[in-house]
Amino acid sequence: MVQFSEENLAKVKEIIARYPEGKQKSALLPLLHLAQDNFGGWLSAETMDYVASLLQIEPIEVYEVATFYSMYNTKPVGRYVFEVCQTGPCMLNGSDNIIEYISKTLSIQPGETTADGLFTLKTAECLGACGYAPMMQLGKHYREHLTKEKVDAIIAECRSAAAANN
Amino acid sequence: MAKATQLNTMGRKLLLEKADVEGIRFYDVYRREGGYRSVEKALKTMSPEEIVEEVKKSGLRGRGGAGFPAGMKWSFIAKPEGVPRHLVCNADESEPGTFKDRYLMEFIPHLLIEGLIVASYALGSHATYIYIRGEYAWIPEILEQAIAEAKANGFLGKNILGTGFDCEIYVQRGAGAYICGEETALIESLEGKRGNPRIKPPFPAIKGAWGRPTVVNNVETLAAVVPIINEGGDEYAKIGVGKSTGTKLISACGNINKPGVYEIDMTISVEEFIFSDEYCGGIANGKRLKACIPGGSSVPILPANLLLKTAKGETRYMNYESLSDGGFATGSMMGSGGFIVLDEDQCVVRNTYSLARFYRHESCGQCSPCREGTGWMEKLLLRLEKGEGKISDIDLLWDIQSKIEGNTICPLGDAASWPVAAAIRHFRDEFEWHVTHAAEAQKRNYGLAHYADPIHVPA
Repeated sequence: MVQFSEENLAKVKEIIARYPEGKQKSALLPLLHLAQDNFGGWLSAETMDYVASLLQIEPIEVYEVATFYSMYNTKPVGRYVFEVCQTGPCMLNGSDNIIEYISKTLSIQPGETTADGLFTLKTAECLGACGYAPMMQLGKHYREHLTKEKVDAIIAECRSAAAANN
Repeated sequence: MAKATQLNTMGRKLLLEKADVEGIRFYDVYRREGGYRSVEKALKTMSPEEIVEEVKKSGLRGRGGAGFPAGMKWSFIAKPEGVPRHLVCNADESEPGTFKDRYLMEFIPHLLIEGLIVASYALGSHATYIYIRGEYAWIPEILEQAIAEAKANGFLGKNILGTGFDCEIYVQRGAGAYICGEETALIESLEGKRGNPRIKPPFPAIKGAWGRPTVVNNVETLAAVVPIINEGGDEYAKIGVGKSTGTKLISACGNINKPGVYEIDMTISVEEFIFSDEYCGGIANGKRLKACIPGGSSVPILPANLLLKTAKGETRYMNYESLSDGGFATGSMMGSGGFIVLDEDQCVVRNTYSLARFYRHESCGQCSPCREGTGWMEKLLLRLEKGEGKISDIDLLWDIQSKIEGNTICPLGDAASWPVAAAIRHFRDEFEWHVTHAAEAQKRNYGLAHYADPIHVPA
């Protein structure tokens, strides 16, 4: 069953308190981030229903928001999600080559996850790192000035982190 | 290209002057360097109305892209009895080419918090929100730490500096939607909904977040309130030229030697900005300048000749008026300050396709001209880029963009139309070449062509 820890429930309470009385729905985006971080990197129907119950809103109000914003995954993703920016300035600096290289190296197309469940490759639209292109988002942080060598190093880093945590 | 003039302007810096000071991210250093003086001055010696007046006098224009006078925007806020008002900081920086607010929040977060406190006092906001794009996932912690430090030192919370003014600042992350940079979409998102822009009026100043009077300002705009209060609106207005007062952050990217965030005082020429070592350091890899999108992806792209000189043959400067000189026929816009440079080997068709894909992805889908039109433009541009297009596709693109523009609830429709229109307006021969030389266009780019040729100015 989907259930936040006591610590996260306290966090939920603190988030809801940021908004006017009776406007707890405003906490929806932060709560979906918290839920995605805590329940496997994606939002299942069960997770979304749980968030709806916490905010005392209808499940449909959660679904329509979760499907609108690109950062919420409504399907399972790999443990490491490579979100490579492909918009204008990144494209001018070779993002297409980086996407192609990752695709070839991991044998997956954008939108796909490797068979071992370790990596998902996604293309992203402008992430606000145009001066440090090409780049990708990996979890909470950006990896910038990407080269093939850097991509190799990032993949190796993820593999060893995964091995260490298993 | 003529050798760049190496003018050493030593332009004034108001926002990033201290950005390199070791430890400036933290309260103690920021305070030691003179931080939070504007809060003391504003809350202890000025009325809210006097602050609005100073901001009006400063001539500060919204730094998010629209360039609307900030003081005037503040003066519109309704003050019905017993209804709370809110200030919301727009940190949803998502316009391709723009990464200045990120820099400011990451490296000198207290400057934003300081500006927010003064602005909150001026507007009567006791609960102020920073809405930051979700992908900047590591920045909320930086901001929240700055907020906690400010609070611990009496600059936030109850009875700030003993003046009786209460204020809290909260940070909310978005979740990946360019449209939430539009202020009414941002408000919807803040309320926990899809980011669908609202029909205006009512404007947020009357009915904003939770139906309450709300002002939404960009990060850089709010940070600029600090020097305005410290030095006075009149002093601030002396910097710059005409209606381009103060300093502006420019995030420079694309094919240049020194991409990054620069603070300029809006009196330097575009040529100096691109070629001087103080700023972009010239075109990367010794190549030549082909084109530039000077104010974020939405603003018209200009070929090198029209970028450096106006159609009248005058020097073009990095300010609101000069960048828009000539209107859309021969000019562009300052926009958000996202400065994207294309070298001679870049393909304008491909670049336009990339931007069209962005707008299709980011259209909220509410208005049919935008929802359908952005996807249609993307398809046509991809076809042309792949050498499978027809000449009539170029005319069709023109037709579609003209039917999106002005026919949508929010400016995303315009933002999607302008790049396509400007690319065809100035680079039509390159689009046609993709049709007439389809096979060749798959192997090489059109190149610099005549885009950097001197402008013919009729006598």
